Amino acid sequence: MPAAFARAAFPYPIHETVLDNGLQVVAVPMDAPGLAAHYVAVRTGSRNEVEPGLSGFAHFFEHMMFRGTPRFTPEAYNDVLKRLGADGNAFTTDDWTCYHVTAAASALDTVMDIEADRFMNLAYGVEAFQKEAGAVLGEYNKNYSIPINALLEKVQDTAFTTHTYKHTTMGFLADIQAMPQRYDYSRMFFARWYRPDNAALVVAGDVDPESVFALARKRYGVWKPGVAHIETPVEPEQTAERTAAMAWAAPTLPMVALAYHVDAFDARSARGRALDVLAQAEFAPTSRFHSDLVLERQWIDWAYAGAEDRRDPTLFLLVCRVKDETRVEDVRREIEATLERAATTALPADRLAAVKSRLRYGFLSGLDTPDQVAVTVCSYLQLTGTTGSIDQTQETLSRVSAEDVRAAAAEAFRESNRTVVTLRHAP
Amino acid sequence: MKRIAVPSPESPFVTIRLQFETASRDDPPGREGLAALTGGLLVEGGAAGLTYPEILERLYPMAAGIGVQVDREVTVVHGTVHRDHLENYYPLVRDAVLAPRFDPADLERMRDDQSNALTAGLRATDDESLGKETLEAMIHAGSPYGRPVEGSVAGIAAIAREEAIAFHRERFTRDRLTIGLGGAVPDGFADRVAADLARLPERGPERPAVPAGRAPAGVEVLLVTKPCRAWAISLGFPIAVTRADDDFYPLFVANSYFGEHRTFNGVLMNAMRADRGLNYGDYSYVEAFVQDGMSTFPLPSTPRLRQAFSIWIRPVAPAHAHFALRQAMRELERLVRDGLTPQAFADTRDFVLNYSRLWVQTPSRRLGYAMDGAFYGRGSLVDELARRLPAMRVEDVNAAIRRHLATAGAHVAIVADPEGAAALAVALAADAPSPITYESETKPAVLEEDRAIAVHALNTSAAKIRTVPAEQMFENSDLPVR
Repeated sequence: MPAAFARAAFPYPIHETVLDNGLQVVAVPMDAPGLAAHYVAVRTGSRNEVEPGLSGFAHFFEHMMFRGTPRFTPEAYNDVLKRLGADGNAFTTDDWTCYHVTAAASALDTVMDIEADRFMNLAYGVEAFQKEAGAVLGEYNKNYSIPINALLEKVQDTAFTTHTYKHTTMGFLADIQAMPQRYDYSRMFFARWYRPDNAALVVAGDVDPESVFALARKRYGVWKPGVAHIETPVEPEQTAERTAAMAWAAPTLPMVALAYHVDAFDARSARGRALDVLAQAEFAPTSRFHSDLVLERQWIDWAYAGAEDRRDPTLFLLVCRVKDETRVEDVRREIEATLERAATTALPADRLAAVKSRLRYGFLSGLDTPDQVAVTVCSYLQLTGTTGSIDQTQETLSRVSAEDVRAAAAEAFRESNRTVVTLRHAP
Repeated sequence: MKRIAVPSPESPFVTIRLQFETASRDDPPGREGLAALTGGLLVEGGAAGLTYPEILERLYPMAAGIGVQVDREVTVVHGTVHRDHLENYYPLVRDAVLAPRFDPADLERMRDDQSNALTAGLRATDDESLGKETLEAMIHAGSPYGRPVEGSVAGIAAIAREEAIAFHRERFTRDRLTIGLGGAVPDGFADRVAADLARLPERGPERPAVPAGRAPAGVEVLLVTKPCRAWAISLGFPIAVTRADDDFYPLFVANSYFGEHRTFNGVLMNAMRADRGLNYGDYSYVEAFVQDGMSTFPLPSTPRLRQAFSIWIRPVAPAHAHFALRQAMRELERLVRDGLTPQAFADTRDFVLNYSRLWVQTPSRRLGYAMDGAFYGRGSLVDELARRLPAMRVEDVNAAIRRHLATAGAHVAIVADPEGAAALAVALAADAPSPITYESETKPAVLEEDRAIAVHALNTSAAKIRTVPAEQMFENSDLPVR
């Protein structure tokens, strides 16, 4: 392994400060001539939707953030982006919401001006609110023709009983349909979560860190802190296997999903990184499972395995699309047998080394543009509150042993910890 | 054999794009899907002394892959690798092109994948793509452009291994090849690649011409039916310009104003989504457009000799479909009639000039755009825009709109549930009013305009409206399209 690569995982210098109001500000200078990516991470996602009937609100609120302020109407805001030729958008996950604008580095002050303004002064009327609810229902509808989305919705709903990971980021359909009536709640949502002490600003690209900090103080310094503290309910331990079967009206190939409860993300946890290694070692295209079921016996056409990094205990998912209806149960047994073997047999050393190399070069190849760098830094900041967790994660990964992988598998892949959902075509 | 290099010496990566002017356009009749299957087998069917699993084993620690993108006009074998690994990586790319094995088990696997992409993917579970492919089928009926790159279900089933081997031998030839290299290209590497690929056969067969798309006679509607809760709509008509033509560039500016992809700049997006909440988005295009993954930027290496203007209306509630179609057509007619104001033109031009620079942030994308420019005998799209737009005038744009977008109709593809489709067919044929109501408060000006939209004449009739079950689409050579 080349020395430069083994030494530091994250290939760019990270400069950071915290404003008096609690806003974390990070600048990452990199070789991206004339460009800067401005990312704001709000540490609120569908995880925070604790009240019944209000699932999907974090995502809906992301839409509302484009509905204007007293200074910049939606049209005026968009006109600024348009004049700059900026690429701007937003997305919401279970844990956080991200607002991003990429434009010329020389336009950074202008970008910060319009972005900071909406975080502090968002103002929209009932009509705009209700029209946006229509767009969100449209987004649900466009996603709904894709069966994998419905399958994953069912997995979460079945595997969780109490924690808000029970619903997807889009939310339950009934709640989405009721959104137009929730205007007052939307204002409360903004007041609760859109606070500097619940957010981070990351700027990556052709930038000077001190200038970024000065601009951040100028534009974001007057944002008032005061994030709400509302506990997310704790998921009780699962004690028996759960199953669900779905029928799909349009023709589709059957799918089978297995989900196991696993830990929240922790950069120092060997167990967490061991599961990343396991997902690769046992299910990547070079794995025995893939060679056997995709390439040789050809029972399935794709397989996914892994756990998303999440703030709260989450799911390790295994999903396969099965080419032959009669093989669904067989495929399920093959997945279980693979997991059982992983829990009892140590990975060969060369396989472990190949997986680690893969994960590290994969990490590096995902840091090629200011957008990729900024979103990566944001995602670690929202998970852990620190940028140090980026290198810490890679360091933990480098120390994972074959025994760590085996032990993590034995801990997670128990029958009583399992949820199985199948989806089949049934007209 | 052409060579294009776009080096970025600072990059830690090397990127390779081997582009052949061989693609789905070259599929023989009854073997629709042959180019896609052959292309797939170059990178997933073993090469030289290695099986596909053995190739995967070598690529795996590099976190690199060898991709293939087969489109209507070109096939690109491509990959990006950390420069630490170039020496081990490059021979795998070279052999994919020079010495593919077409291992039989891989062929059967990929045949299944390709067929499933049509039957379980496009026709069953991806309504928006189905709408777009149906529109292509309407515009390019009878032409190889008028079906998905994946081909037809019957065509895929009929392909013999020998046919894929022959397709590679005869059509992946030097005269059709452009070697593209980008990123941290080492000294002498370009010559080495060229010397290696000189082992390809010199020349392939002539390609038959691609006929122009068929202009619609009024509003021609194809309702593709399947179970669905919201309806995807795509509409459009052929245009006579591509990036090779001077008129393309003012038209590109006009389109950005009217329907820039995935932004709130466009007239359509504001009128249909922002003001009315009809759906998630509404955009327009003056050439084939494929979004690059999760970004909003256009994927390179999809050049076409024949292009179309199109509008993509993302799924709408069934009760709003007739209204949405009317509104889109009415906005288009207004664009043709009124054009852009000088201010709108100036704003859009500035946007396009700045925004287009974001399309070429990685070595691979820079290279792809340069190769696309070469395909059309031009510079890269980004360079052409930078060169042409400063001197462009609003009159140029409005004249280009009138020349190319003035239309008495459109091909319209609607993916709808069977019952709803039958009712819509009746309403369309009668040109029945399609008033809209909202559960939410709506601006008086919007409501007033709605009354005009609801009765906007669509120039269609029962004879121009057809209904086809989704499972019949792309089943064999004969598409159920006039």
